Formats: sequence, structure tokens, C-alpha cells
Amino acid sequence: MMNRKSIKEKGILEQYLLGELSDDQHVQVEKILKEDQELFQYYTDLEQDFEKLAFENAIAPPPRVKDSLMNDILGATPNTDKNVIAINRKNQSAVYLTIAASLAVLFMLSSAWLYHQWQDSKNNLQVVQDETLDLRNRIVTLEENLKETNTWYTAINNPNTIQLVLKGNEISPSSTAITYVNHDKKTVILNSEGLAPLENDKTYQMWADVDGEMIDMGVVPSDKQMIAMKYIENAASINITIEPAGGNDHPTVERLISNVLL
Amino acid sequence: MQDDLELIKQLQNKDSRALSAIYDRYSGALYGVILRICKNEEVAQDLLQETFLKIWQKSHHYDPKKGKFFTWSYRVAKNLTLNSLRNPTKLIQNEDLSVYEDKEINEPELDILQLNGSLKALDPHHQKALELVYFNGLTHREAHEEMNVPLGTFKSYVKQALKKLRETYQKQLILFWVIIEKMI
Repeated sequence: MMNRKSIKEKGILEQYLLGELSDDQHVQVEKILKEDQELFQYYTDLEQDFEKLAFENAIAPPPRVKDSLMNDILGATPNTDKNVIAINRKNQSAVYLTIAASLAVLFMLSSAWLYHQWQDSKNNLQVVQDETLDLRNRIVTLEENLKETNTWYTAINNPNTIQLVLKGNEISPSSTAITYVNHDKKTVILNSEGLAPLENDKTYQMWADVDGEMIDMGVVPSDKQMIAMKYIENAASINITIEPAGGNDHPTVERLISNVLL
Repeated sequence: MQDDLELIKQLQNKDSRALSAIYDRYSGALYGVILRICKNEEVAQDLLQETFLKIWQKSHHYDPKKGKFFTWSYRVAKNLTLNSLRNPTKLIQNEDLSVYEDKEINEPELDILQLNGSLKALDPHHQKALELVYFNGLTHREAHEEMNVPLGTFKSYVKQALKKLRETYQKQLILFWVIIEKMI
């Protein structure tokens, strides 16, 4: 039977420490140690000595043993650091995806804005081009008008030009025509603006009276205000008659509306 | 060396960081024991890993009221190693295990297994007694036969060896305090 004395003296505590005892003996020693504080302290000192012995004779194992051990442990345990890293990686790639998506949206918006600007500029350019063309046409028209006006002005303003006014008689009392005659340059210009409008099948025709004979000076077109007529030498008077459209070879004297002596 | 009860509690709660810290603290001392018993580095490394796996799995069996954590770990390591020597195929297939029957052929080749520290200051027979039971994994009965002395004599060798060892430690402790005092 074991007791405190035999345990201490027979070296049973050393065997207990080294794990050499049978299960029965082991339990008995454990029980005695639990009850005997002094003996437990003795045993603790013994443990201390053996532990020091082991530490004095420690041999460092290679690091791979720990790596392998920790891999085994972490591999078998859920919620390990390894898994946490994996989640982080996932988060990281999500962050990259978000950045990429944002950049794509930004690029799309800026492209749309630039396209809109481009279309706007294109439209503006078209408007400007149309206006330029219009202005150019107007300049051409104005130039033509100016040239024509200048021609008439030069002709009318000549000091040798005589202005003659042909007033309408009872057939056409509202009509008034003005002729500009230059004997030096042998020109006759008619301003037909004041003549009363005629039916489509009628026209005004101008005649020169030379020694009692009426000589044709030309048909007066209805769409022009200033017209150059034929100059006739030795004319005594200028007459205007209403003739069928296209003019007549001989004047219809019954239809004489105005005349003026030269 | 005081046990860190908080660390052990964390280990019992299956905190892998606690196992890592305990490995750092005890692996060298336990590897020294395992390697001296099995005398094969490759096998000893596998056994060391196996030991800590068992410490991890069975840590709830450890009761601080019954003794120190290192003593418990030492028993785990020693039992695993002795079992693997008795039944080599059970743990890891290794051709070298077959030579353990001829221990004397391998033993002297490993300089690393030379014992160090306070043990070297002991008388050779005291040194041998502790080496056999503590570092070679022999039981008292096997060891007294190995040393060819009666069991009672062998037990007294162990006791005397431990007593002298403690005296050496105490001297070291006093020396340590003297050095500390001087430094202060």
C-alpha cells in the first residue's frame, strides 16, 4: 500500500513523473498528491528539475515541422487566418472591379458629351456655311444691281441728256413715262414705272415720228423699270401706243396714250 | 520556469496562436527528448509534429492542479515515441526504424545527442541513470538492467543525481543573483 513516505523514499514520484506507473498506481499517486500539499510541492520541485534538464538539452527542430503542424491545424479549423485572407482577396478584387466599372462609366459619359459637342459644332458649321453662301449670292445680286443702277445713273446724269416726261391722255390718264434722250451718244432710255398695267395680251410700244412716219423704237417690257430703246435720227416726237402682245409693225394711232415733242 | 496558465487556457479553447506560442516555447526541449529516444532526425521530426497535434487535440485532458504542463507534454512525447518504436508501421513507414534494435550502432554517430548543461557536472553513473530514464525512455526496471545494478541501487542513483542537480541549479541561481546585484 502506497503512502506519503513510501512514495517519496522508493522513488515512486520519479516514476510517476516519467509516466512509468501502471494506471492503478498512477491514480493512487495522483490522489495522495491532491491531498498532501507538502508532497505536491516536493513533486513540483522534481518536475522543475526535470524540466530544466530537458531545456538544457533542447535541440532546435527545423522550421518546416512547425509550418507543417500549423498547416495541419489551420487546414482542419474553420475561420482560420487563411480563410480571412481569401475573403480579403475577394474584397480586393471587388474594389478593383468597382474602380474599373467607375472608369468605364466615366469614359462612356465623357464620350457621349464629346459626341454631342461634335454634332453641335457640325450643325453650327452647316448654318454658317449656308449663311455664307446666301450672303455671297446677295452680294452678287447687289453688285449686279449696283452696276445696272450705275449704268442708268451715268446715262441719266449726263449733261447732254434731256429728260422728257410723257403724260397719259384720256385713254390712259394715270400713266406717266420718262425718257432720257442723249443726241450725242444717240441713246434713249425709258423709265416705264409710271405706265398703267395692261392685260396679258397687250403691250406698250414706243415710236419715233420722222417726217410724218412712225418708226418703231421697241416694245416696252412689263417686267423692267428702266429700258434702253432704239435711238432714231431726226425724230420730231416720241409716242407710246398700246399694241397686241409681241408688238406691231405699224402703230395703232387710236391707241396712242402719250406723246412728247423733241 | 512558470507555466503560463492563460496561454494554456487559450490552447484548451483551440486558439491556434496559443499552440504556436507553446510550440515556440517547448518544441526544442521535447525534440531533444524525442530525438534521443528514437535517434533518427526524420522520424523524430514527424513524432514532434505528432506530439503537438496530440497536445492540440488532448489539451483539455491537462489539469494544472495535477502538475506542470511540460511534464504532461513530456509524457505525451515519450509515449508516442516509444509506441512508434514498438510498432514502426503504425506511424510512419521508415526503413531506418528497423535498425533501432541495434541502438549501439547508431548512438555514437550523433554528436547532437551529447548531453549538455548541469548533467555533465554529475558523476558518470548518476549521469547515465538520468539519461537512461529521462532521455532514452527506459523504465527504471529496464535501466537498472542496462546498468547492471539492483533496482534499489538504481533508484538511489536517480535520487542522488536529482539532488546534486538541484544543488547545481541553486548555485547557478545564486551566481545569477550575484551578477544581477553587481550589474545594478
